[in-house]
Amino acid sequence: MGGYLARRLAASAVTAFVASIAVFLIVRAVPGDVVAQMLGQVSDPEAAASLRGFLGLDQPVWIQYGRWISAVLSGDLGTSWTGGRPVGPAVFEAFLVTLEIGLLTLALATIVGVPLGIISGIYEGRWPDNLIQIFNLLGLAAPVFWTGLMLLVAVSSFAGWSPPLIYVSPTESLWDNLSILMLPILSLGLLQAAAYSQFVRQNVVTSLNQDYVRTARAKGVTIRILFFKHILKNILIPLITFMGLVLVQILGGVVIVETLFSIPGLGRLLISAIETRDYPMLQGALLVVVVTAMAVNLIIDLLYSVIDPRVRLS
Amino acid sequence: MQALAAAVALTMASLPARAATADLYGPKAADAVKGGTLTFGSLVEPPGLDPYHQAADGRIRFTVLMYQGLFYESETGEAMPLLASAYEVSPDGLVYTIKLREGVKFHTGQPMTAKDVAYSYNYLRDPKNGSPGAGDLTLISSVDAVDDGTVRITLSKPNGALPMTLGNKYGGVVPAGYFDAADAKQAFNTKSVGTGPYKLAEFKPNSHLALVKNDAYWEEGAPYLDRINILFIPNSASMIVALRNKRVDLALLTRPQDIQQVVKAPGLVMERWPSLNQKALDLGSELSPLGDPRVREAIALSIDKDEIMRASVGGYGKVIGTMVPAMQDAWGAPIDQLANQKVDIEKAKKLLAEAGHSNLNLTLTTINGYDWMDPAAVTMKQQLARAGINLNIQRVDLGVWIKNFQSKQMGFTFNDWATQPDPHLLFYRHFHKAPEGADFRNWNNAEASALLDQGLGETDQAKRKAIYVDFQKILAQSVPTVMLFSADHVSVRNENVMNYQQHPTGWFFGLARAYIKK
Repeated sequence: MGGYLARRLAASAVTAFVASIAVFLIVRAVPGDVVAQMLGQVSDPEAAASLRGFLGLDQPVWIQYGRWISAVLSGDLGTSWTGGRPVGPAVFEAFLVTLEIGLLTLALATIVGVPLGIISGIYEGRWPDNLIQIFNLLGLAAPVFWTGLMLLVAVSSFAGWSPPLIYVSPTESLWDNLSILMLPILSLGLLQAAAYSQFVRQNVVTSLNQDYVRTARAKGVTIRILFFKHILKNILIPLITFMGLVLVQILGGVVIVETLFSIPGLGRLLISAIETRDYPMLQGALLVVVVTAMAVNLIIDLLYSVIDPRVRLS
Repeated sequence: MQALAAAVALTMASLPARAATADLYGPKAADAVKGGTLTFGSLVEPPGLDPYHQAADGRIRFTVLMYQGLFYESETGEAMPLLASAYEVSPDGLVYTIKLREGVKFHTGQPMTAKDVAYSYNYLRDPKNGSPGAGDLTLISSVDAVDDGTVRITLSKPNGALPMTLGNKYGGVVPAGYFDAADAKQAFNTKSVGTGPYKLAEFKPNSHLALVKNDAYWEEGAPYLDRINILFIPNSASMIVALRNKRVDLALLTRPQDIQQVVKAPGLVMERWPSLNQKALDLGSELSPLGDPRVREAIALSIDKDEIMRASVGGYGKVIGTMVPAMQDAWGAPIDQLANQKVDIEKAKKLLAEAGHSNLNLTLTTINGYDWMDPAAVTMKQQLARAGINLNIQRVDLGVWIKNFQSKQMGFTFNDWATQPDPHLLFYRHFHKAPEGADFRNWNNAEASALLDQGLGETDQAKRKAIYVDFQKILAQSVPTVMLFSADHVSVRNENVMNYQQHPTGWFFGLARAYIKK
């Protein structure tokens, strides 16, 4: 296990390094000139050249990359070009907000989606299954911005309420924090619950048709015991894998709900950094996204051996 | 000495009633309720609050409440003394002697003197300091403090637009030596050091900006609100929900479909204000065959501006000739004196035939994120088809568009811009031949450039107007650009918000005069 972990971490470091180059180049491939954008439509060539020099954009790309990555390795993500604030703390602050949304959404999606999938699988082809399938279909088809908007408009018209617009962290006031995050989490979570439900249903249906299940049923084992003792264990590993995928998907959806509900998370930070071509901020935020996705993968791989001792991590 | 003092008389005979009150920041209210917090919803967010180096309009809108220049851009197109109290111009037009307002203090508490004014403008105009505002001040050869209350500005050539250039768009007077600190630029985001009615309390990017009343502000009895919370709400659907639920007291909306959703909402009041905005169609002469004036004229003659305005902003705008509505009375040429303003398809066809283009193909560039451009492009495609011009439409990102624009490769494109309320600032850089102007459209018109030079050198405002009217006639005749229409500023407020006027620039000067009725 220790050796495995060391190898995985080393591999992750290599991946992160390659990703950092990719991030650096992709950011610069976004069309549009950052200096032109900062100075506006009627800028002076002289002012533009001086700003270009100040930002280090007059250097070759590999020198720019070298400077950036060596700073990153010493723990400095740089300074935002547009706002002048340090990137590290800004990204970290936004990341915590997004992480909270991500984890609560995952929890909601699991709590709602897994039981629905199990019920649906057990009652395959009968009315509970049909009903849940409708929910699944809607959830899989609806884009998150639409669901979010509909929730917002519906709650606002029927209850005359909409979430507060200045973000409050859970340590300041948990209640205010949750009232701000409730609608975004609902809109993201319900959609992911549908994906979950569909996935679990498929696994339950497959398991129910397997030989060992048929044998156990023939021996008179009740469906409840069968389910909790055997089937659930068997679908746990694919479920954990799926959970990782869902979490990464949630990170994608967060960009949209954060913009819709005015929440200062990583998604909104990314969007505004792209709009203003704030390279240091964009690089820092993307790097954090990449590292998070890698960490999620690693944690899931480690979880396998915890759930199923037959899985040896070597 | 030719004493102009504070009164720079403009001909303002037929201005709308609202604009006739040329008060700083808008009219004061005798019965204003003092105190309270106003929540303002903004669809755009300032990337930073540095008034010297940050060019984004989203920055200017808010920093005008914290930082002040020597003059105020009145909504009628006059430069009114702000931190100045009066000024004199030497007979040769080269020396401006400016008396400063007394009793002005910075947000830091220290009194403002001529030394601070000279320091600030000298910093701003030095190209080494990288301010986008430096280009407007190149005619200044020195700014000196004569005594604590007097500043002398010496020019290398007369500049009739100087007072307007010393307004609030860039810079603002800060304490002398401010930029000596290594983190001075970043510090603008955490602490304000201006002289304006509001001080910075907190700026949280992607979330909000909070301003608090400057208790030591120099204007008697103003401003009224204790605090203004500006929330950045990037999505207009969320903005509408917030307005309806009174989470936001005041906001500016830009899309007609959004405006229509709140027009009849109980407790909300929608108001329209003239703007300096212009939606234009630019015809870069570098793109063949737009170098041929006959082709440009034919295009202008095929365009029904009113139809485009209705299609793209749902009627919340005003068709224009060669001048934006907020400046039309002060500086505009009467539309009936301008060529190519009425649709004439037969003449357009004839001009195209003369130029040898019976089936002309053109590609129009529009910009991603500018909602009005899509319906406008489709409408214009139909209009041009009547004259036998086939229009293709391509969309590009703003960054790409700006790059093309600045490298003078804009081709045939929609444009959306605004400036300060002065004809020199509006026209010179855009339309004067290079190298003095940027001539983005490769127009290269000597006669027009000569008029722009003449307008710049003239300090008599009536004579200035006559010169700019002549310039506009050439602009309309030769068509380097077709100014289509101007979108109104549309504000939506809670009915308790009183005395708010939207300034034509789109900047939020009016917040310094707004109050909340109990």
